[in-house]
Amino acid sequence: MAIRSRPISPKFLFLKAMVLFMFWVLLSASFEWIHLSLGLVFSFAVAWGNAGHSSFVPKFRLWSRILLYFPWLFYKIVQSSLHLSKLILHPALPIAPQLISVESKLNHHAAIVLLGNSITLTPGTVTAEVDRNKLIVHALDQPLSEGIKNKQIESKIAEIFKDQEPDL
Amino acid sequence: MEILSIIFIVAGLFFLIVAAIGVIRLPDVFSRSHAVSLTDSLGAFLMLVGIALHGGLGTNMLKILVVLALLYIINPVITHATVRAALRSGLKPWKKETS
Repeated sequence: MAIRSRPISPKFLFLKAMVLFMFWVLLSASFEWIHLSLGLVFSFAVAWGNAGHSSFVPKFRLWSRILLYFPWLFYKIVQSSLHLSKLILHPALPIAPQLISVESKLNHHAAIVLLGNSITLTPGTVTAEVDRNKLIVHALDQPLSEGIKNKQIESKIAEIFKDQEPDL
Repeated sequence: MEILSIIFIVAGLFFLIVAAIGVIRLPDVFSRSHAVSLTDSLGAFLMLVGIALHGGLGTNMLKILVVLALLYIINPVITHATVRAALRSGLKPWKKETS
């Protein structure tokens, strides 16, 4: 049996099971009683099995800021996708790959994860190594690596996490 | 709606083809991973949005949105794991010869 770090709160268990059940209904899209009852049983089983792992701390402000960050990130993705397509289709293939190391000022695990994920998601730059707040980034050419060095993404993420307790 | 979905799918195909050309033309693992991430982010996004518009409103559209969200979380992790493995095994990134 797994070791439980904190007592299970029935309210939280019920909430978790309901979220899982909603996900089940969404994916199965069938309202026959056999499917619904199976889903109910399994969502309670999964919620019970995972009950001891984390406490439920709602962070609505943080999540809404992260949601607002995605459209901006998508704009950056489109921008660098077009740049990268131009590089690949150029007859002379004018690339200058380079490894650059970046030190960030972020002091949250979640913020570093978000930063590394954003860098990798943006075509043309890949996070190759992460060690606490030092990242090694591989960029395909000069303008793309400039985009990492001027820390535009990092300042956006610092803005998102500005009122959170540091944990790094 | 039909025309819009065709536009999205064709645009997605364009990025997928560019990414395939990139995988062939680029010199090493690191730069090829960039071409693959082009497929992951914009190519897959445009294709899936095109398919979602083609299917119309309904549970299928929601399922495609779930797929899209998972894709955007998981794909960078896979790319990062590949590139980190290449770096740790001592592979040197390709550099342009200065001659």
